Amino acid sequence: MEYGYYPGCSLTGSAHKLDKGIKQIFARAGHSVKEIPDWNCCGAFEYGDRNELLNFSKKNLEKARGHFHEIVAPCPACYKNLKEADEAYEFGVIHPLDIFDESFFAWMKQGRDLKGQVFTPYYGCILLRPRETALRNKNIMEDTIARFGGEVAGEAAKDRCCGGNQIFIDKSVTEKLSGIILEKSRGTLVVFCPLCHMALKTFSGERKVIYFTDLLLHIMGDKSVL
Amino acid sequence: MPKTDNAIELTGYLRQDFSVCLGCKICASVCSVNDISGNANPQDMLQRIFLGREISAGEPLVRSCTGCYRCTGACPWEIRIPDVVRALRHELKIESPFEKAFKGSVALFGRVYEPYVLMKAVPFLLKGGYIQHMGRWMEYMGFHLPHKVKRT
Repeated sequence: MEYGYYPGCSLTGSAHKLDKGIKQIFARAGHSVKEIPDWNCCGAFEYGDRNELLNFSKKNLEKARGHFHEIVAPCPACYKNLKEADEAYEFGVIHPLDIFDESFFAWMKQGRDLKGQVFTPYYGCILLRPRETALRNKNIMEDTIARFGGEVAGEAAKDRCCGGNQIFIDKSVTEKLSGIILEKSRGTLVVFCPLCHMALKTFSGERKVIYFTDLLLHIMGDKSVL
Repeated sequence: MPKTDNAIELTGYLRQDFSVCLGCKICASVCSVNDISGNANPQDMLQRIFLGREISAGEPLVRSCTGCYRCTGACPWEIRIPDVVRALRHELKIESPFEKAFKGSVALFGRVYEPYVLMKAVPFLLKGGYIQHMGRWMEYMGFHLPHKVKRT
């Protein structure tokens, strides 16, 4: 299947690892992803005028029109903004975590297991809230970790805020909020959001913070990330 | 017209939409800002907006809201309080140097071109003690050219 791909600004810059991981996994699953031509920034969380914010994503949907029906947006902020801008439900705006279902695991070749290792799946805010744009499967990361024999920890941390949104405004906010997550979690932190990755990584000390896509590639037998 | 009225307009809400607030304060009980300061009360803020009172830029919620939507998730009416705070920040012209650089990049390139944003925010990053984190941020570094200039 061919998906329209909206990488957003992070995945073409600082979150290049997530971009690479998504593309590798999709290719192995037999899906192709093709960038929406000439896309622009979705506005993230930076615009107080809701119309101004939605217009960024409406422009992107305009550019996808006629090319794609299903659009994959890995960055949670981009995903939420695109989904909200699609007021007429003309497109399927999909988060990659909702693609990792039973049929995905049916073809997935396992090269390693996660036995003896502890993980805290961390979703952060935007993948779980608001309800209208939240993931369909809100336990996909823990289900995956358990499926391959890993120990799931940190249930109390999974939906708390890391304060990533404030990291370049007042980083003391991020330090405190990320500190709570680090305290309430155990083992390797598994994340999907580029901003959560950066916030937690900044204050995680010796603790590992990895993208879920890297964990999947690790299970498939690629270069170890653990 | 109070600035709060202008802010409501920006969110797409109407002032009377906030009349449904039951005053349960569940928003305050889950608010991430209260994990830091203990002084954020979104319910009180909504009530003051409903009554047409001003909100000050220095209030903890206005200053430090992370946009986590925990309040929205808990609210019986799912009121999108972070959208209201964001509109208030816009109306009160609260903008960090990083946010300015972000918007500057979007206006210039149509996208956030990270090297541009970093360059613009250098004084802020130096003053704010961000340099100490550079070692941990090496994995995020990479160089690419901006997409296009003056696209939007």
